[in-house]
Amino acid sequence: MTPAVQPDPGQSERSDHSIAIWGAPGSGKTTFLAALNIALILKKGPWRVIGADGPSTDFLIEMTTALSQYQRFPPATGALGHYRWFLSRRSEPPRRSWRRRRKPPRAWKIGLDVLDAPGGFFRAERTGYGTDREELIDNLAASRGIVFLFDPIRESKDGDAFAYLHGVLAELAGRMLADDEFGDGMLPHYLAVCVTKFDELRVLETAEKLSLLTPDPDDPYRFPRVDDADAEELFEALSAVSAGGNADMVLPALKQFFRPERIKFFVTSSIGFYLDPLRGVFDPDDFQNLVPEATGTAGGAQNPHDPHGPRAVSGNRFRIRGQAHPINVMEPMLWLGQRLSSGDGDAGKAGG
Amino acid sequence: MTGSSRLRETLAEAVAELAGPRRLTVIEVAGEGVVAFDLHRDEAGTPRGRGRTVVHWADQKSGASSWARQAVTDAVPDGSTLIVVDSSPGGRQAREAMEWMRDVHPQVPAFVLASGLRVKTLLREVVADEPLRRSYELVVLKRHPVTARLEFTCRPLFTVEARRGDSLTFTVRCEPSDDRGTVFAVAAWQDRYPALLSVQTAKVPPGPYEVTAELERPGRVRFPSLPEFTGNDRTWAELVASVPSRLASPAGPAHLICAVEISGTGAQVRERLRRIGQVIAVMPGGPESPLRMSLIAYGAHSYQRGTAEEPVDVAAWHTSRVNTQYALERLEGRIGERGVSQGYAGAAMLEDMLAEVAGRLPAGGGERTVLLTVGECPPHPPRAHRSEILPCPRRIDWKQQVRRLEQHPGLTFGAICDQPSERADPVWSRLGRSGLAHLDAVDVRKLGAGLGLTASEAQPLPFPLIEVP
Ligand SMILES: Nc1nc2c(ncn2[C@@H]2O[C@H](COP(=O)(O)OP(=O)(O)OP(=O)(O)O)[C@@H](O)[C@H]2O)c(=O)[nH]1
Ligand SMILES: [Mg+2]
Repeated sequence: MTPAVQPDPGQSERSDHSIAIWGAPGSGKTTFLAALNIALILKKGPWRVIGADGPSTDFLIEMTTALSQYQRFPPATGALGHYRWFLSRRSEPPRRSWRRRRKPPRAWKIGLDVLDAPGGFFRAERTGYGTDREELIDNLAASRGIVFLFDPIRESKDGDAFAYLHGVLAELAGRMLADDEFGDGMLPHYLAVCVTKFDELRVLETAEKLSLLTPDPDDPYRFPRVDDADAEELFEALSAVSAGGNADMVLPALKQFFRPERIKFFVTSSIGFYLDPLRGVFDPDDFQNLVPEATGTAGGAQNPHDPHGPRAVSGNRFRIRGQAHPINVMEPMLWLGQRLSSGDGDAGKAGG
Repeated sequence: MTGSSRLRETLAEAVAELAGPRRLTVIEVAGEGVVAFDLHRDEAGTPRGRGRTVVHWADQKSGASSWARQAVTDAVPDGSTLIVVDSSPGGRQAREAMEWMRDVHPQVPAFVLASGLRVKTLLREVVADEPLRRSYELVVLKRHPVTARLEFTCRPLFTVEARRGDSLTFTVRCEPSDDRGTVFAVAAWQDRYPALLSVQTAKVPPGPYEVTAELERPGRVRFPSLPEFTGNDRTWAELVASVPSRLASPAGPAHLICAVEISGTGAQVRERLRRIGQVIAVMPGGPESPLRMSLIAYGAHSYQRGTAEEPVDVAAWHTSRVNTQYALERLEGRIGERGVSQGYAGAAMLEDMLAEVAGRLPAGGGERTVLLTVGECPPHPPRAHRSEILPCPRRIDWKQQVRRLEQHPGLTFGAICDQPSERADPVWSRLGRSGLAHLDAVDVRKLGAGLGLTASEAQPLPFPLIEVP
């Protein structure tokens, strides 16, 4: 592990800005990654995502195409995927650049080393599964940013988010904190806690009941959104209604090991809300962006994310109805990327 | 001391005051011993009581006070109204008993009854003379003139304040009953709550029948004009359950609307169409038949950009059987060529179909109409819904449409669902309220009879029918 990040914004070729995605099977990890490119394109901002090697570029292209063109979700992940991307920032338009020049120039290229594991790995037996689990812990230990996905829909059905958290967390802490390399007994990672599937009625309804929906005056589509400052409250409300009843332990468990100032909450959706092209704005009566896949008879399809079911079930139960409008997919990545490249992500120094 | 007319009056008042859990106890000190009468009103409001000799003088060796204490304590329930009557011709034990009673219950009225008169006889007369406290009605069935649906109702017999000896005569119609006969059941009503008073069964030939009902006394209605009663070995619940939901009358104008879901697999759709063909075939449908038919096909909504959806297709409307069969053949042919309706999986444009039918039915009804829906999928909700089914593009509210149809006079809902009822979406029990069959195992004749469209073999009817205006 490389201990320090060079503050040079131009550095890029080799980074340890490695970010792992953590979440139960079917919580939307792969879709989240797949939506990143779409999110950046639709934002029309200065950021782009670029693959750093062949396979990583292939994955980007494949997933972007599947999501936007074929409106399909990625298949359940079968093996640990490791993608090396850059978030690159185009240079500022010249008219405004004279102002910015006084400030230190911001990173224009942030390395992202993304780890996408099958959700099942986070629950595998410590000893039994052997290599998969080992490799996962290795990679988590080597990363400095974690996107933790909490799927409230799955939680209300299966209630197992905690089960996919505590074992790996304990092992990671054991590994990293045993030799007290970091001083204060806390893990060095930055943690983006993301409530996923905000586009689903039940999540939106909960946010509405808590009066957490705020309009975004800049959004021409007027999609509802939850302010990052309120995201934790929604997370707490949603974890209070878990089917298994211990989702309310997820947050305390995370706070035990990650520094509170390094945790940030986001309410996200990889596919976002449906937008009727004729209407052009969000319709509170018709916003669901999922359609059932037409294969098989109604209701009979099997959940491909059932960890006990066959992993080879072909296809998903749902596809995307219209254009994906990712919500808060770019933001956690940028936040992590900027934290990691700003230098205070350097664990060795921060631990002092 | 007072005479028997005062006692009769007092007893009548005490009986009249009986209500709910209240009880009346009459202690009679008689020639042979002490008799205790305990009276209350039963569920149907009839005073009921029984007398028990609690002390025989002949058995008594000890003094009167010891037995009296025991007898009165045992025979008078707490809170009961008490009346004491001396009907004994005299004697030491009786005298002592009366004295003791007066000592213990100084406020209780005590009466002396002239020799030869007994409390039992007086009570019986008092109860029989009491005016009715509840109205009595005969349990009958009435048939809806359009839908032929059968419904329980009551024919008034005696109103409150009626007295014994009152009688009336009226006409009922008896359908063929089973070999156990037709049931003449009387219910006593208090406010809106009936209580079953009596159930009598007689073999009455089918047809109109003149019935005389006579109030023998409270709690007992006689039907002197009926043939001898036969025993009834069925419980009330069994009797009620044995009433068919409707009494078929194949004659008269009627309209059968068959609506079929044409999305799903090809095999499913073909099977649905085949079943509709069978239903149509068993209908009385000659050229003179007053039965009209319609055929409607509805498929899946399309949420795909650039894919137009096929609207609800009214293939035949209010036409003859032959025309409907012809429309069905054309529909089958079209699906054979072009395939089933493609689009959203897991729901169908059922709500659009319901709106189409509701919009086409003439206001005011007037014609017996059956909507037979054949399919599997639930409808689309009018707005984003937890079922995750996308809202109907036209925002039609299926519940509102069903309600609209339910209010249509003379409309009956029948359905054939691909799934057995326990696995079918709940909407199907509503669409098949008067007859829900499973596609794989539908008896089309039985379904038709259940919907009042075809005559069924003898439908025994255990209760008399009244004609409603
Ligand atoms: N409503 C909604 N559903 C989503 C979203 N993202 C993913 N899904 C659903 O969740 C399913 C699983 O998504 P994945 O991205 O494969 O989840 P994963 O966490 O990578 O799953 P594993 O690879 O099995 O661990 C998808 O097939 C979709 O049905 C979203 O933003 N909104
Ligand atoms: Mg995955």
